[in-house]
Amino acid sequence: MLAYYLRLAATSFRRTPGLTALMVCAIALGIGACIVTLTVYHAMSGNPIWWKNNVLYAVTMDSWDPAQPFDTDRPALAPPQLTYRDATYLMTSSIPKHKAIMTQLLGMLSGAPGQRAPVPVMTRATTGDFFPMFAVPFQFGGGWDAAADRGPQPVIVLSHAENEKLFGGIDSVGRTILWNGRQFRIVGVLADWEPVPRFYDVVNNPFAGPEDAYVPFNWGPALQELPAGPSSGWGSQPVQSYQDFINDEDVWIEMWVELPTAASRARMLAFMNSYWAAQRKDGRFQRPLNNHLTNVGDWLQVNHVVNDDNSILLRLAFAFLAVCLINTVGILLAKFLRRSSVTGLLRALGASRGQVFCQHLVEVAVIATLGAAVGLLLGVIGLKAVEALYTAASAMDAGSTNYVALTHFDPIGIGWALGLAVLSTVAAGLYPAWAIGRLPPSRYLKSQ
Amino acid sequence: MMSLNVRPVLSALFRNRTGAILVALEIAIALAVMVNAAWIIAQRIQQMERPAGFDVRDTFAIGVAALTSRSDLGAAQREDLAYLRSLPGVIAAAATSSVPLSGYGQGGSISQRPGPRAPSVDERSMQVDESALAALGIRVIAGRAFSATDIQPLSHDIFAGAPAALITQSLARKLFPDGNALGKPIYGGDNNTPMTVVGITNDFMGSVWGSPSYYTVLYPQTPGSFGDYFCLVRTQPGKTEALMRTAQRHLAISNPDRVVIVAQTLEYYHRRLAAENRAVVIFLTLVTALILSVTCLGIFGLTTFNVSTRTRQIGTMRAVGARKRDVVAHFLIENAIVLAIGGLAGCTLALGVGYWLSDQYQLPRLDLRYLAFGLVTLAVIGQLAAWQPARRAAAIPPSVATRTV
Repeated sequence: MLAYYLRLAATSFRRTPGLTALMVCAIALGIGACIVTLTVYHAMSGNPIWWKNNVLYAVTMDSWDPAQPFDTDRPALAPPQLTYRDATYLMTSSIPKHKAIMTQLLGMLSGAPGQRAPVPVMTRATTGDFFPMFAVPFQFGGGWDAAADRGPQPVIVLSHAENEKLFGGIDSVGRTILWNGRQFRIVGVLADWEPVPRFYDVVNNPFAGPEDAYVPFNWGPALQELPAGPSSGWGSQPVQSYQDFINDEDVWIEMWVELPTAASRARMLAFMNSYWAAQRKDGRFQRPLNNHLTNVGDWLQVNHVVNDDNSILLRLAFAFLAVCLINTVGILLAKFLRRSSVTGLLRALGASRGQVFCQHLVEVAVIATLGAAVGLLLGVIGLKAVEALYTAASAMDAGSTNYVALTHFDPIGIGWALGLAVLSTVAAGLYPAWAIGRLPPSRYLKSQ
Repeated sequence: MMSLNVRPVLSALFRNRTGAILVALEIAIALAVMVNAAWIIAQRIQQMERPAGFDVRDTFAIGVAALTSRSDLGAAQREDLAYLRSLPGVIAAAATSSVPLSGYGQGGSISQRPGPRAPSVDERSMQVDESALAALGIRVIAGRAFSATDIQPLSHDIFAGAPAALITQSLARKLFPDGNALGKPIYGGDNNTPMTVVGITNDFMGSVWGSPSYYTVLYPQTPGSFGDYFCLVRTQPGKTEALMRTAQRHLAISNPDRVVIVAQTLEYYHRRLAAENRAVVIFLTLVTALILSVTCLGIFGLTTFNVSTRTRQIGTMRAVGARKRDVVAHFLIENAIVLAIGGLAGCTLALGVGYWLSDQYQLPRLDLRYLAFGLVTLAVIGQLAAWQPARRAAAIPPSVATRTV
């Protein structure tokens, strides 16, 4: 029966090739636009560590200026970073399973075999738990322990790409390299790791990709390195030296904790609140209590990681798809109605309503599948165009958005888009197929 | 004549209401999308056309960072500037702490009163030497520029104020709405040390993160407090790229105490600023155009279908005395009714979407002139789309009425 319906559909397409092509094109364009916007949106709004979403928390405390909120547009938010004083105190807690503080430093790597000039690399200064907590995969070696954090010991972890560049991809663990003119021992090389977005640091561009080198956090203060990313202060006191900077109310440190149970979350928050109360007595924290543990998904949302343009374009693409589908419903209805004398004949010869319905639905499904296939192709072309458009504009720019990762054609997102396409077109075809089956055959046999 | 035509049109319309409703729905969505897209496009183009305020062409930036915290950036800077100025083709070379439009730079808040509680304005700041204005092609429109004696030595105090400052016209107007800013004290950094406004420059954009701003402050101070500095180099036209490569090669090896972190033309940063907006404009225009064409196809299809299913009625109309143009009018009026219903629904939808956009994304409220313009455009295009099938209907001869098939 299906083969017969398919043959009927083919005959119908041959009779009106223009109309059929038009419907396929309209659906394809709608789907293509949706695929482009959905892919970028999906990548931007992705949660690269979703399986730990409910155990990883960003720690924030509102230590800001009593006179005005950190963000005047959203006064309820605490600053996204902590002061040195608060971060180092919170790190003494033994409540979290894992805990890490971090900032971005500019590092100069030199002294690799055959290297002529030092190369600047973005470096994450963090504590040893960073690697197990964020499930960072290693190609060689591993992270460092608490003793290395305390020292700080001169240990460094390189990214896969940096190890390729400096050591040609060999196992460089155990070798030494100069970081900002000092000898560091390589203890680990990461495997390819590209969390999109870089959830643990949304203060810097979250789409710039992870850093190329990792050193213990305390090297920042030990070498008096100022953070390379944003640090914000409100001028609570004059800052004359690096010591003033780290003692001041400047916020520049991100902190993450892993809290596996609701009880540990409550204990951590209580720990933060009691610290807050004690510090408040000493004259700090004059703003209302605003301590927060925010999970990864909420953190990305609160910090507006998906930019407004993308969500507007996504909705626009869906509006376009809707128009295309409405158009298809109209065309199908007209087409089926025009053929109603044939349908009437079929009904008179004994075809049931269900059979007429199925026959028309098969025709719709063929159009939907063709449209989805062409739409997929258009979507891929569109993504390449977007990638080219942006990459050309931001080439050779350290810290800029990695558009290749954002326009990466991901199968899950595409599956969604295609499923949506076929489903919506078939849904659009349901009404015309049903309407035509409902017509009494006699009316269409009588005249014309 | 018109009023006589409307009744048969309405009854004809009512007989095939599903098709008409679908097209009206398309028209409504198309109008809502078109009007709001045009409104967003207009905002973006306005943003893209805001002048940078400095000479974007013929200038490049080389950024240099200390290899260790012990590196002597002051000495390195003097050496680098002397080398850059010695290159044939270089017109001016200056050292700054920030590169306009690049994302490398500092910002803070500035106030016209001392103390932590004074109302302040967010600004982008630059530590500059006396050549920076020449390198960027920025004009002093009141007061004076910095001279070599104004420039403070390199300080590791990142909040250190300077005794003097240059501010842009916009910032001057913002800080001193009712008077002359020249010679007045302003407060930034630790909020207690006054700086005197010695000059006011034309508006130019500072380093960007977020949206570009004309609120820029220049401090006469040798840059380097942040562990890095930038050389801004103005060259003769056409020599920028080549000189940048030469300078980058030389600076990369001339001093092992510091490292070149970036070399880029200001033209590049300026292009990059517009790139995101340009992509949005392209996508919006493309999709809006497609929605309009699909809607026109819908109108065309509906009218064609109506004409082909009503051949006998049209023949009859003609046989009882309707002229060709009456037939055309019949279909155009029918289309106009669909357009009117769709347009009305579209207006509501467009206003709703506009309200939602301004609420959700802090866009300015939709300008109603855009809505009016969108309605007229859609009406004209919609009638044009129905024109051809209506003309074909008029060509049906009266004799069709007497035939049976």
